[in-house]
Formats: sequence, C-alpha cells, structure tokens
Amino acid sequence: MIEISNLHKKFGKNEVLKGIDIQVNKGDIISILGPSGSGKTTLLRCLNYLERPDEGTITIDNITIDSKKVHKKDIYSIRKKSAMVFQGYNLFQHKTVVQNVMEGLVVVQKKSVKEAREIALEMLKKVGLEQKTDSYPLQLSGGQQQRVGIARALALNPQVILFDEPTSALDPELVGEVLDVIRKISHEGITMIIVTHEMNFAREVSKRVIFMDGGVVVEEGHPRDIFTAPKEERTKQFLKRMTPELEYSI
Amino acid sequence: MGKVFDPSLILEFIPTLLKYLGVTLEILAVSILFGVLIGIGAAIPKLFNIPVLKQLVTIYISFIRGTPIIIQLFLVYYGLPALLALIHIDITRMDAFFFVIITYSISNGAIFAEIFRGAINAVEFGQTEAAYSIGMTPFHNFTRIVFPQAIRVAFPNIANTVIGSLKDTSLAFTIGIMDMMGRGETLIASSAHALEVYIALSVIYYVVVLILEKGFRLFEKYTNRYQGTEASVA
Repeated sequence: MIEISNLHKKFGKNEVLKGIDIQVNKGDIISILGPSGSGKTTLLRCLNYLERPDEGTITIDNITIDSKKVHKKDIYSIRKKSAMVFQGYNLFQHKTVVQNVMEGLVVVQKKSVKEAREIALEMLKKVGLEQKTDSYPLQLSGGQQQRVGIARALALNPQVILFDEPTSALDPELVGEVLDVIRKISHEGITMIIVTHEMNFAREVSKRVIFMDGGVVVEEGHPRDIFTAPKEERTKQFLKRMTPELEYSI
Repeated sequence: MGKVFDPSLILEFIPTLLKYLGVTLEILAVSILFGVLIGIGAAIPKLFNIPVLKQLVTIYISFIRGTPIIIQLFLVYYGLPALLALIHIDITRMDAFFFVIITYSISNGAIFAEIFRGAINAVEFGQTEAAYSIGMTPFHNFTRIVFPQAIRVAFPNIANTVIGSLKDTSLAFTIGIMDMMGRGETLIASSAHALEVYIALSVIYYVVVLILEKGFRLFEKYTNRYQGTEASVA
C-alpha cells in the first residue's frame, strides 16, 4: 500500500537518504530504528512531503509522486492520505484541544462543524482526554499534548499515521501514557510507521522493524529476528548500545 | 514669559482644547489605518524574500526609523509639491491635513512592517508544518494558524506604536494643522498663559493615553488566553 523506491535526499552536500526502498502493507506497524543522523526522521518527513526528496518515488494508496515531477495537487493528495505525529507535538497553540482535532476535519475534509466535533470528541475519548476538550495545549502536560497530537492524526482517518519520535521530547514519567495510547490504537488495524528510540516498545508493537544507518536501510525483518539475531554488524552495535539488558552473540 | 501663573485657567482651557481632540484622534485613526496597510505591503517583500523590493523596503524602514518625524513632516510638506510639480501637478493648495496623514501613515507603515515581520517569524515553524501535514493550503495555514498567533506577538508593539503616534500628532501644528496642539498654540498667543495651556494639554493627552492603555490591556489579555496557566491568571 505504501511503496518507497530509490528515495534520495540531500541537505546541501550532506546526503541524508541514499536510495531508500521500503514496502509497507495495509495495517502493518513498522518501526524505524537507527542512530541520530541516520535519516529516519527525514524519511518520515519525505513521506508527508514536509521535505521534498531529490530523487525517487513515493506511493501511498493510489497516489504516486515522482520527486522529479511534483505537482502541488499531488502533494495535497498525499498529505491527505497520511497524518503526522510530531516529536514536539506541534499542536495549534491558539486553539483548544477539541478545535485542534477538528481543524483538519473542517478545513481540509470540509466536514460540518457538528460532525467534526463528534469525531473529535470520540478520538479524544480514545486517547483519554475527554476531560480536557476545552483546555489550550499549553495548559496540558507534554504527555497530554502528545495524546492530543495522536487524536488529531487519528481523526483524519488517514491511510497511514507517521510517528516522528513521539516520546523523545517527553519527561521519562510521561512516556508510558503516550506509548499506552499508541499501543491501544495499534490493535485497530491502522497502518503506522514509527520512528522511535523506545526499543522495547518497538519490539512489542511492530510487525516489522527497519534499521537505518547512514542514509540506507541496513536491515529489516520481524522484531524477534532483529532484536535477538541481527545479521548486520551495525545493527548489533546499535542494539547493544540501546538495549544493554539483552545479550547478543557478536 | 507670560503672565502670572493662574491654576484656574487650566480648567477653563480644557473644554476649549477638548473640542479639537476629534481632529487629533482623526489624524491618529486614519494614519494608523493606512499605516497598517502600508505595513502589510512592506512586510511582504521581506517575509517572502522578494529581491529588489526587499532592498527598497529595507531602505524605507531604515530611513523612517533614522529620521525625526518632524523632519519627515517637512520633507513631505515641501517635498511632495516640488516632486509633483515636475509632472505638472499642483498640490500647493491642498489642505495641510493631507500632508499630515501622508507623513504619519508612511511613518507608521515602516514601524508596522517591522512589527508584522517579526511577529510572523516568531510563530514557530512547527505550527506551519502541522498545518501542512493535515493537508492545509498555505492560505489556510496563514489565515487560520499563523496570523492569529502572530497577532498575539505583535499586539503589545502595535499598542505602543498607536500611543507613540498619538503623541507624535502633536507636531502636526507645525505645518498649520488646527488640532488640539494647534489650538493650544493659538490660546497661548491670545492669553499669554503658556504654562496653563501646556498643563491642560498634558492632562488631556495623558488621560487619552490611559484610556487607550486600558483598552489595549483588555485585548492583550484576550490574545494571551491560550498562553498556559500562568499567563491566563496574570
């Protein structure tokens, strides 16, 4: 359903993505792991066209964009098929919690305010924030803000939700509540691509794990295989650093 | 110096001067309105990095900020007719009021341009990214997400500019405008009680500023409603 092929992206002279090929099936939950600077966040942002790739094609559902000839219309179409959960939440600060979730429904999907509100309230209930509908983002904790971010993404009913390190900006004691919400929605059959440093979480929820380093996909596979028997030396090194509690045969 | 100081004259002068408050406020209102429009126009080349126009706007803003308003007033008052005379348009008989409006609008426009630019740039780019990620167009992003937040950033500076501009209107009398200050000058000429007139004027300007400030504070509180718990209590 999602197909990324030969994706390249440069920032100046720095080539961040050096030809990425990934396929994701409908309903799959994919975790992308890798050290900082490996290009995983850039890859995710390219999927939403927040970054414009230099080369390669991206297909989501029935929309294909070749980065050599991009039309504005295609960018809007592909963005409508995906939703993003940001590391820094990026909630609209001047809008209340429920307005944040409604915004895309009303402005982009042209739903009536009434219908949008119903959907928004349902989604906020799902993330456990039905009590906070009329608060402003800055009145919430980081964990709560990120749950609103997830509700905002869910409400759009996208083909895929892209999570860009959703817990990296949170205080450690707030990570759990956000992971719980993602875990909960992971049972609903929504396709998700998660860039994360939470190894145990990735291992638990993902159907497939992709390990990136230096702008390429080093290794991918079932989390059981990747976490217990990684084939590539770079994967082993990385996992050893990130999950010292596990023993790897190196 | 004038005659012996007579405090009772202050109260006597106030109603006479107040009749001309309308002219002062008219200059203020019209020049703020045009200033905002010019400011928006002048902020655009800088925000969107439009070559040539951007440099012109930079020179314009820098010149206005670097010269006293009274000199700008005379430059427009003498310069504009001279300039238009070159293309055979005679505006020497035009009401001084127009020259005042033109000067103050241009002056406010430069200040507003910088305020708007700064406020729009101060809105985190993450807000725009979030808007784009849910499929919004740049137009909707600007009108629904960036602009409302920029207002909050810009408002205190806009309020300061309005108050500063109100006080600057007191220079318009130098080219013969009969506003509050102009009337004050004629009162001094006829009564020779300069100090009483200036005290009366200062009372009126001060009260108007206090009223404006009160109104601005209320609006500022409204624009800050979403700024976390601390700000909403304050």
